[in-house]
Amino acid sequence: MTNMLTIRTDGGRTWFRPGEIVEGDVSWLLDTDADDLEIRLFWYTSGKGTRDVEIVDSSRTSVPGQNGNRSFRLQASDGPYSFSGKLITLSWALELVVDPGGVSERLDLVIGPQPIEVQLGRPDGF
Amino acid sequence: MVFDRRARLRIRPADNPFASHRIDALVFRSTGPKPEDLAERLDALGGRADVVGPEGSGKTTLLEELSRRLDGEVALVPLSGTSRRPWSTVTARLPHPVDGRHSVLVDCAGLLGAAGRLMLRRRCRNARRLVITSHQPGRLPTLVDCQTSPELLADLVCELTPEHADRLDPILEELFRRHHGNLRLCFRELYDAFAGINGKFSILNSQLSVAPPTRR
Repeated sequence: MTNMLTIRTDGGRTWFRPGEIVEGDVSWLLDTDADDLEIRLFWYTSGKGTRDVEIVDSSRTSVPGQNGNRSFRLQASDGPYSFSGKLITLSWALELVVDPGGVSERLDLVIGPQPIEVQLGRPDGF
Repeated sequence: MVFDRRARLRIRPADNPFASHRIDALVFRSTGPKPEDLAERLDALGGRADVVGPEGSGKTTLLEELSRRLDGEVALVPLSGTSRRPWSTVTARLPHPVDGRHSVLVDCAGLLGAAGRLMLRRRCRNARRLVITSHQPGRLPTLVDCQTSPELLADLVCELTPEHADRLDPILEELFRRHHGNLRLCFRELYDAFAGINGKFSILNSQLSVAPPTRR
């Protein structure tokens, strides 16, 4: 059997304004019992150079059992916004992690004033 | 990817084939021992060894690969970027005490200096394994001598961006030579090429071009 993790936001939203509450529910069906499940709201960078990551809010469920579901309510910070420049993309995501084992599921989000990430810098252009 | 006003393809940093997370995910490859044979080779050397090679030759990648293949408790101590107080990083990362359960892997051990390396060997005298990386062979036997080549660069570029590998192939040998075999610097310049950052090469709309000199 394969572990199955699902993350759903209320209304299927993937865009939230800075500081907004991110609500939804998660469900899991695991091969074995887990000690903990954690749902995290975090941002991370990717691109050129060292990567950064920050967990802004999280919620943990102890002794979740092999299957179940529960709701979550996390709060986004006022910043940073989702953006892409030339050197860095900053992305937001929800992640559900099983401990032990590290099995996880991720749902990408946009946090910012608009439904798409902010585009920084001028286009490549000679 | 998004298109700018001039309808040129603009790549997001996260989607750049030479973004750091893609480089970090590359599996070490060499003409020497295979990754799956490294642990056995290390134990055959008595558990004490050096990974040797110039900058950007994959020593860190190999050390990380090795850390995943060793049994027991592994302490990976990265010293790059800690040139001011590397010994503080070592003491913070080492188990207390270091004993026969531990394998200690120290990246950029050259930053410790001769005295620091001596202290490290003493501190880890009871460790099950000790592996360091350095630019030149030293007192410890060599586990792997990391050497790069234009062919290796081409192989890695093909893995990172198979759709552009043919277009990039003509420039790789010159790129390799200009950066003296430092693959990390080659990847950074290739990142810039895909990101449209002013440089010698650029990838625009899937076309490789040599940028004109920048006007000042």
